Amino acid sequence: MSWREFIAFAAGTLTRHRLRSFLTLLGVSIGVAAVLVLTAIGEGARRYVTDQFASIGTNLIIVLPGRTETMGGLPGMGGAPKDLTLADARALQRNIPQIRRMAPISLGTEEVAFRERRRAVPVLGSNADLLEVRHLQMAAGQFLPATDLERGAPVVVLGKKVADELFQAQNPLGMVVRIGQWRMRVIGVTAARGVHLGTDMDDAVIVPVATGMKMFDRSSLFRIIVEVAAHQEIESTKSKILEILEDRHRERDVTCLTQDAVVGSLNSILNGLTAALAGIAAISLAVAGIGIMNLMLVTVSERRFEIGLLKAIGAFRSQILWLFLAEASLISAAGGLLGLAVGWGAVEVFHHIYPTFPAAIPLWTIALAMAVSVGVGVTFGLLPAGKASRLDPVLALARAKR
Amino acid sequence: MKLPDLLTSSLGVVRAQPLRSLLSMLGIAIGVAAVILLTSIGEGTRRYIFSQFTQFGTNILTVHPGKIKTMGMPGVLGGTTRKLTIDDAMALRRLPDVQLVVPTTIGQARVETRGLSRSVPIFGATSDGPELWKFTVRTGSFLPPGDPRRATSVAVLGSKLKNELFQEENPLGQFVRIGESRFQVVGVMESKGNMLGFDFDDLAYISVASAMKLFNLEELNEIHVQFPSGRPSESVAQAVAQLLRERHGGEEDFTVTTQDAMLDVFGNIMNIVTMAVAVIGGISLLVGAIGILTMMWIAVNERTAEIGLTRALGATPAQVRQLFLAESIILAGIGGVLGVTISFAIAVLLRTLVPGLPIFTPGNYVILALAVSGITGLISGVLPANRAASLDPIEALRAE
Repeated sequence: MSWREFIAFAAGTLTRHRLRSFLTLLGVSIGVAAVLVLTAIGEGARRYVTDQFASIGTNLIIVLPGRTETMGGLPGMGGAPKDLTLADARALQRNIPQIRRMAPISLGTEEVAFRERRRAVPVLGSNADLLEVRHLQMAAGQFLPATDLERGAPVVVLGKKVADELFQAQNPLGMVVRIGQWRMRVIGVTAARGVHLGTDMDDAVIVPVATGMKMFDRSSLFRIIVEVAAHQEIESTKSKILEILEDRHRERDVTCLTQDAVVGSLNSILNGLTAALAGIAAISLAVAGIGIMNLMLVTVSERRFEIGLLKAIGAFRSQILWLFLAEASLISAAGGLLGLAVGWGAVEVFHHIYPTFPAAIPLWTIALAMAVSVGVGVTFGLLPAGKASRLDPVLALARAKR
Repeated sequence: MKLPDLLTSSLGVVRAQPLRSLLSMLGIAIGVAAVILLTSIGEGTRRYIFSQFTQFGTNILTVHPGKIKTMGMPGVLGGTTRKLTIDDAMALRRLPDVQLVVPTTIGQARVETRGLSRSVPIFGATSDGPELWKFTVRTGSFLPPGDPRRATSVAVLGSKLKNELFQEENPLGQFVRIGESRFQVVGVMESKGNMLGFDFDDLAYISVASAMKLFNLEELNEIHVQFPSGRPSESVAQAVAQLLRERHGGEEDFTVTTQDAMLDVFGNIMNIVTMAVAVIGGISLLVGAIGILTMMWIAVNERTAEIGLTRALGATPAQVRQLFLAESIILAGIGGVLGVTISFAIAVLLRTLVPGLPIFTPGNYVILALAVSGITGLISGVLPANRAASLDPIEALRAE
């Protein structure tokens, strides 16, 4: 039998009993659609998180005081034995040429007031490099001046939301605001950014780091953010940072987080989660396969006469086997295609409802889904097809109903 | 038709085509097993974490400095205008509903003695700590009572820290160095174990005032408040918040968290997660139901003559419908029982392979599963049963 006859034969028998063929392939399509939708959502989550991380800067290493073994906990819990100081930051910059930019960070919360309006916001202390390092943009005025780290000028850059709240339509540049007891001159306003990784830069203000540390009476920095010149240098730079600081502090009491490592961990976690969920959905494919097996057994017993006849006129056992395998695979493949269409449609609907969530069906999943659906057909069709091929033609012809 | 007759006839049909019936049942069984296992893992996890949190007692609330601004713990940013102080904690004692108040700080430092040292968390607390947190002292005593504002130079060790630094020796009366100061060991705590990754035996307690000096802190990390069990936590929380607001110049620059509220949030999250996962597992059940529908439909076609005969002998369409519905329900029902058995077997297997895995199958899950499978059988059987009932007996007899 030629390929075309094969398929035509298999397709013919399926169309003869449209309802039950459809119901059986429906099982496969439900399973495939479910797996695709879940994978798309998982992929969307992964992309969303990765994008968020990329948006805060590239090639970054974050140095924190205190040691954690894992990434999860807050290191230092407020009180590492040795402070992370501005002198440390300068030592890093001086001794590691691979560092392109470095932004020390101090942090506190304070009330910012202009005339009678006030707002309690995070106050970040940093330097001019923060602008580039964090991919910030200015809406008006300029960012912090590029001076010595120890110089604490009484200037402040407002986040967009803070500027709007305190000044409304007025131009904030050059005006003096009160941060707690301090009087600071506004030299710039950052452009609106939205919330990234839970922090809202629009609802914060930025002052020179020396001023920030004095304001909150801190001797230790909150973080040091380091931007490495080239991606390949990140690991070696990280080791150098740890080495220099261990030398200066006489013990290993800092933690270095690389953006890559963080993104990598999150990727793994999300991938694992998606795989687990998709796996659970895939159980339904096994159930659909059982349905195929059941249906094929019925088909085989119904067509005993036909099979007997085919064998009598010379069909090989293997040909009968392939015939029924083809039929089973056709059902499952058709189910797979339908599931693909439904899954794709569902993801599109999802996009409409949540446009900011980058849900997408990865191409390899589509290929895998088709392969699996055909595979299910072949696997679960094997038993019935085997049965058909082993039918004794004489008995089949004798006992079958006409 | 009488119930026993329906049962016998349905079981007879099931037995007549064992392989086909088994496969149909298997579909439902896998679906049921999947849903039970997944929800059991969810329930087990929920109970485990619940027990971890409530081991400290449920009539506790906590005050943190700062408001929860970003997604994370309150007080991370710290440095607010009015600090959360020991005086605040002492003021809370005056509230009528408050039984115990323990101000705390936490930091990491090296505890050294006679050449050995270990970097551990250092808790600053007061004498009421053991009662509030349901800890017991194994040897010696906890921090002495007295004015919490005074920095004393005594320390209490967790059982693991004691073993690491002193091995089998009695540490009471000996001195350790924490940071730049010397502390005398006055007690060792009973082993408490791990909670969510935090080792409660591998730390040391000193007076909160000493801890604040040691870590150069201006304010507390937390204030723990215990109130009588009968009191609704919300009212106590409000009283605490009001008093602190007054002390902080009308500002609410702190956060009061009741354990109830926390457990509520957690419970909700767990429920949503478990339900979502169960729904995904339920897709298998849906496919299994479609399987039964298909098989029943084929059965009706195959048994057209039989149906015709039954009608000719006097059976009403309703009775024919009943017959097929019963078959479908029994098929799915046995599948459900099979599924419950499979899920138990897999649960036992999982527990031996992964000892820490929390699986708990409440009794009503099983009943629910059986009910669901029965209903599934009912729904899948409706269409075929109706078709069987609507067959014209004359046509049916003739068709064969």
